Amino acid sequence: MMRYAIRHVTRFEYADAAGFARCNLRLKPILWSGQTLDDYHLSVEPGGEIAPARAQAGLANVMRLVVEKPERELTIESRARMTVDRPLPMPAADDPTLAEIAAWARDSRDVGPASPASYLFPSPHIPLDRNIGAWCAEELDPDRGALEAAIALAQRIQREFAFDTTATLVDTPPHVAFAQRGGVCQDFAQIMISGLRAAGLPAAYASGYLRTLPPPGAPRLVGADATHAWVLLWCGDRLGWIGVDPTNGIWMANDHVIVAVGRDYPEIAPIDGVVLGSGAQTMSVSVDVAPIED
Amino acid sequence: MASPALASLFDARTIAGRWAADYCAQAPAGDVLCDSAGRAAWLAALEELAAAAGDSLGHARERAQRQADDIGLGHRMPGESEERRWPLSPVPLLIDSTEWQAIAAGIAERAELVEAVTADLYGPGRLVSDGAIPAALVTGSPLFLRPMVGVTPPGGHHLHFFAADLCRDADGRWRVLADHLRAPVGAGYALENRLAIARTLGGLQGRLNVRRHAPFFAAMRDGLAATCRRSEPRIGLLTPGRLNPSYAEQAHLARYLGFLLVEGADLAVRDDRLYVRTIAGLKRIDALCRRVDPRLLDPLAFDASSTIGVPGLIDAMAAGNVVVANAPGAGMLEAPAFSAFLPALAQRLNGAPLQLPNIATWWCGQPAERAHVLANLDQMVVAPAFGAVPLGLPGGGPVLGADLDADARQLLAEDMARRPQDYVGQEAVCLSTMPFAEGERLAPRPFTLRVFAARDADGRWAVLPGGFARLGGEPDTRATVMGEGSWSADVCVHGADPVPPVSLLPVAGAVELRRNPGTLPSRVADNLFWLGRYLERGEALLGATRVLLGHSISADTGAALADETVARLVALIADAGAAPAPAGRRRRELVEFARVAIDGAEGQWHNVRQINRLAAGIGAISRDRLSADMMRLLDAPHPSRGGLLDRAGSLQRRYAALAGLSAEHMARTDAWRFHDLGRRLERALAITRALRTFAGCEATSDDLSTLLDLADSQISYRQRYLTSFGRLPVLDLVALDPGNPRAIAFQVGAIAEHLARLPVLSDSGLAEPQQAVAAAVQAMVATATAASLDPATIGALEAKLMQLSDAIAARYFLQGAEPLRGSGLTLA
Repeated sequence: MMRYAIRHVTRFEYADAAGFARCNLRLKPILWSGQTLDDYHLSVEPGGEIAPARAQAGLANVMRLVVEKPERELTIESRARMTVDRPLPMPAADDPTLAEIAAWARDSRDVGPASPASYLFPSPHIPLDRNIGAWCAEELDPDRGALEAAIALAQRIQREFAFDTTATLVDTPPHVAFAQRGGVCQDFAQIMISGLRAAGLPAAYASGYLRTLPPPGAPRLVGADATHAWVLLWCGDRLGWIGVDPTNGIWMANDHVIVAVGRDYPEIAPIDGVVLGSGAQTMSVSVDVAPIED
Repeated sequence: MASPALASLFDARTIAGRWAADYCAQAPAGDVLCDSAGRAAWLAALEELAAAAGDSLGHARERAQRQADDIGLGHRMPGESEERRWPLSPVPLLIDSTEWQAIAAGIAERAELVEAVTADLYGPGRLVSDGAIPAALVTGSPLFLRPMVGVTPPGGHHLHFFAADLCRDADGRWRVLADHLRAPVGAGYALENRLAIARTLGGLQGRLNVRRHAPFFAAMRDGLAATCRRSEPRIGLLTPGRLNPSYAEQAHLARYLGFLLVEGADLAVRDDRLYVRTIAGLKRIDALCRRVDPRLLDPLAFDASSTIGVPGLIDAMAAGNVVVANAPGAGMLEAPAFSAFLPALAQRLNGAPLQLPNIATWWCGQPAERAHVLANLDQMVVAPAFGAVPLGLPGGGPVLGADLDADARQLLAEDMARRPQDYVGQEAVCLSTMPFAEGERLAPRPFTLRVFAARDADGRWAVLPGGFARLGGEPDTRATVMGEGSWSADVCVHGADPVPPVSLLPVAGAVELRRNPGTLPSRVADNLFWLGRYLERGEALLGATRVLLGHSISADTGAALADETVARLVALIADAGAAPAPAGRRRRELVEFARVAIDGAEGQWHNVRQINRLAAGIGAISRDRLSADMMRLLDAPHPSRGGLLDRAGSLQRRYAALAGLSAEHMARTDAWRFHDLGRRLERALAITRALRTFAGCEATSDDLSTLLDLADSQISYRQRYLTSFGRLPVLDLVALDPGNPRAIAFQVGAIAEHLARLPVLSDSGLAEPQQAVAAAVQAMVATATAASLDPATIGALEAKLMQLSDAIAARYFLQGAEPLRGSGLTLA
C-alpha cells in the first residue's frame, strides 16, 4: 500500500490579455479499483468559476472553468492525497485467452464508459494501422493467455522503442511514432492500444501520475516528472481492467495513480477548451508525486 | 386546317413516341419507363420535353442546365475552392401517386422507428440491456456521442428531419439503401431541381397533376417553429461555411425557409442560452437547423479542436433552451450495421415488419451472421459496418465479394477473424434504370432516389412528394450527394387528381405584416460593408488607370498630360499596391504598368483582377443576401477579349451595373446600409487620396483636370465654370460641394445618415463612438473652405475617415474572437 501527496500545477501566460476562457478540467482522479481519494483541492488564480461539467465522454471528473475577465495569466493547481493498494497481476494458466476476451467484449450488453464495448473500436486519435497491427500481432496469438500477452507486448515496446522527448509532439499520430520507433509515453500507449484493438481487444488509454522518486535502491521510472499515459486491457469480468505501462515495460501497480480513462487523449486531456484572444499562449506544467511517510 | 399549336403538339407526340421506342429497344428489364404501368405519363413528359426543345435532346439538356445555372445551383467537390455546375438531367423521374403513397408511408414509419431506437439508446438503454442490440453496435458507430446520453432533446425529439436513399430493384420493389439522419442534405437541391424543371417543362405540372413541394417545406418550417418556446422564434441554419460541398444548397434552403444562415463564429452561448451576434447586439436563437458535423458542434462537449462550433451549445441544449435539429448523436443509426437489426426492431417495437425494408444486411460481429456472409461471399457486397475503414478493405468502400481476387479475399478473411465487428454483408442489388438524355438520344441509367421527411407542427412526419434522383454509372450508392460523373433529376409524383394551387403564403391573418427583414448578423454586415468597399476600390483604381491610358498614352488623342502629372498618376496607382512602379515613363512601360494594374497575375498585386476576386469571394458567402443578377456580375470571369482599353471598358460597365443594382434593386434594409456605407467610405477615401496627390498649391491645370477625371466631375465643372481650371473651384466641387454625388461632403453626409438610422446598443440617447467620429468628420468638412484645404487638413481628414472605418468595425462586426486551444499536457 502507498499513500501519496500529489500536486499538479498548470500555468498559462498570454501575450495579450485573453478575453474569456471556458475550459474543461479533468484533473481530479477518478474512483478506480485499488485507489482511493482521501483529500482533494482544485484552485484557480486569479479566479474563475468552477462547476461540474454536464457532458462527459470518458471516465473522468470533468469540471468546467469559466473565466469572464481578460487575464494575462492563469494558474490551475490540483492537489490530491491518495491511497493506492493494487495487487500485482500474475499471469496464470486459467487466464482467459485473447480470443475469449474479444468475443466477450463483442457480446457485451453495456454501453457505459467502463464497458469493454466502449474500447473495441478505433478512435479519432488512435486509428487502426496495418503495420502496427501486424507488429503487435506477433505477441497476440488468439489462444494466448491475456495477462501473459499483455505484459509481453508492453515489454517488447519498451525494449524496441527509444524514449525520445524530441521525436514526437502531443498530436503525433501513432503510425508516425511507430515508423520511427521512438517517442514518449503517449506514443507507446497509443501504439499498444492500436495494436490491441487491431487484434479485436478492448483497450483503453489511462492517464495519471507516477511516483516522482523511486524507493531507495530502485531505478527512477521514466515519465515521473509530468503526467503519464499507459494502457488498460479488459481481461474478462473476473480479472476486469488490467493496467500495463509500455514506457517502463511493467504492470500498473502501486507506483501508478489513475486520473482519467478514455478511448484516447481528448477524452482524458487534463485541460482543454476555448480561450478567446488573439495573442500567443505559453504553458508550463509541473507534477510532483511524493509518498507520505506514516 | 390544323392550327400551328396542334401541329406542334402532333410533332411533339411523334417525337416523344420515337424517343420512347428507341429507348425501350435498349433498356434492360425493370426499367421505369418501359416496364411501367404508367407509360402514358412518361410519354406525356417526353412530349413536354419535345414541345419545349424540339427534336433535340441535347438542346433540352442545355436548357435545363441553363435554368439550373440561373437559379444559382452549384456544388463543390471536396478540396476544390471553385463551384461546379450542377448536373441536372432534363428528364424527371415519374412516380405514380399510388406507388408513392406506399413509399411515403414506409418512410414515415421508418423515421419513427429510428426515433424510438435513438431515444432508447440515449435514454433508458433497454434495447441494449435486453440484448436486442449488441453494445458494440452502439459504441462502434462514430456518431454515437456519449456526452448526449441522458440529455432529453428540447422539443422532445432527436429527429426533426429524416432522409433515405431508396433503390428500385428490377421487380419494381423499393428498398432502403441508406438512412441520412444528421441533416436533410439534398432537400435544397430537390427544391432547385423542381424550379429548373418547371421552367423547362412548363406544361408538365398541370398535365400530370404533379404534387407540389411547397407544403412540405412549410410543414418543415412550422414543425421546427412549433418545438420552440417562443411564439415567434428565431431559427438559424448553421453552416460550416462556404467551402462545404453543399454551401449553395444551404444558402438556398435558408433563404427559402426564412432561416438565418449562420456560422459558428456568429453564435455565442451566455447563461445556457444561444445568441446570434447581430448589429443590434446579441439576439436569442430558439432553434438551430445544423449542417455542421455533430462532433464539431461544441468544442467543450466534443472535439476541443473544433473551430467551427459554438462553445457551450450542448449545455444550452441540455438546459432546454435551444432546439437542435437533428439532435447531435442522432446520426448513430446511419451505420450500416444497424440495418441488420432494424427488421427485428420493427417487429419488437411495432409488432409488424417494416413496410419499406432495407436491403438485406448481416452484421459480422455475430458468429452465425459472419458464417453466412463468408459462405455466400460471391453473392454479397462486403462493406464497412461503421464509418471507419476496416483493415481488410484497403479501398475503403463496399466491394462485391465476387470481384475479390485471392489476395484480397485472404486479407479480408484474416481481418474478419480478428475484427468481425467492422464488417457487414449486404445483398447485391441490381438497380433499375430510368431515361437520361445522353447526346441526342435517351439512354438507360441506374438510379437511386433520396426521399425527405420532416416533422410537421403536430410532430407527425410529412414526406416531400418527390425528392432527388441520382443517376450514375458507378455502383457506389453511398457516395456523397453528387460525385464525379453522376447526374441529378427531378422527381415528379403524379396522379389523376388535380393538385390545388398552394404556395408558402400562410392564411390571412396568421402573420403580422412587417417591413423589417429581421436580424442582421454582424458577419453578414461585415461582408456587405467590405463588398461595397472592394467594388468602389476596384472602380476607383480602374478609373485612375483608364485616365492614364486615355490621356497620356493614346497616340491619337493628342491630349497627352504633362510629365509631372503622369508621374503623380503613376504614384497614386503604385501606392495602392496595384502594380510595381515602372522604371521610366516611356509609352511601353506605362502600358505594361496599366496592364498589371488591371489584369496582372492573380494574387501578386492588389490590382483590379485581385480586388474583383475578393469581391466575388464575399459574394459567394453572402448568397442568401444578394440577387442572382448581382451574383452573376460578381462571378463573371475577368474579361480576356480585346485590347487593354476594351477590357477596361468592359470592367467599367460591370462596375456601373453593380452600382446600379445596389442603388436601384436592393431593399433599403440595414444590410443595404452596410453595403452603401462601405461604398461611401471607400469613395471618400479615394477622393482624399486624389486631392492629396493633385490638389497641392502648385497644382497645374493638367493636375486639376486629372482630379476632375478621377472624381468623375468634369461635366459638373464645365457646367459651373466657363473659365479654365482653377484650383479653388475644383477643390470646392470635388471636396466640399454637398450637391456633387462624387464629392467628399456628399459621402460624409450619406455615412452620417446611415449611422443615425442603424441600431444603437444603448437607449441613453448619447452618440455611440462611430456616430461621434462621423459627426467629427462632418464638422471638418462643413467648416472647411476650399482655401483651407491644405495638405495637412486633407491628411487629417483621411486619418479621420480611417478612424471612422475602425469605429464602425469595432461597433458592428465580429472582433478577433479566435479561439486558442487551451489544451495542454506535457507527456513523458
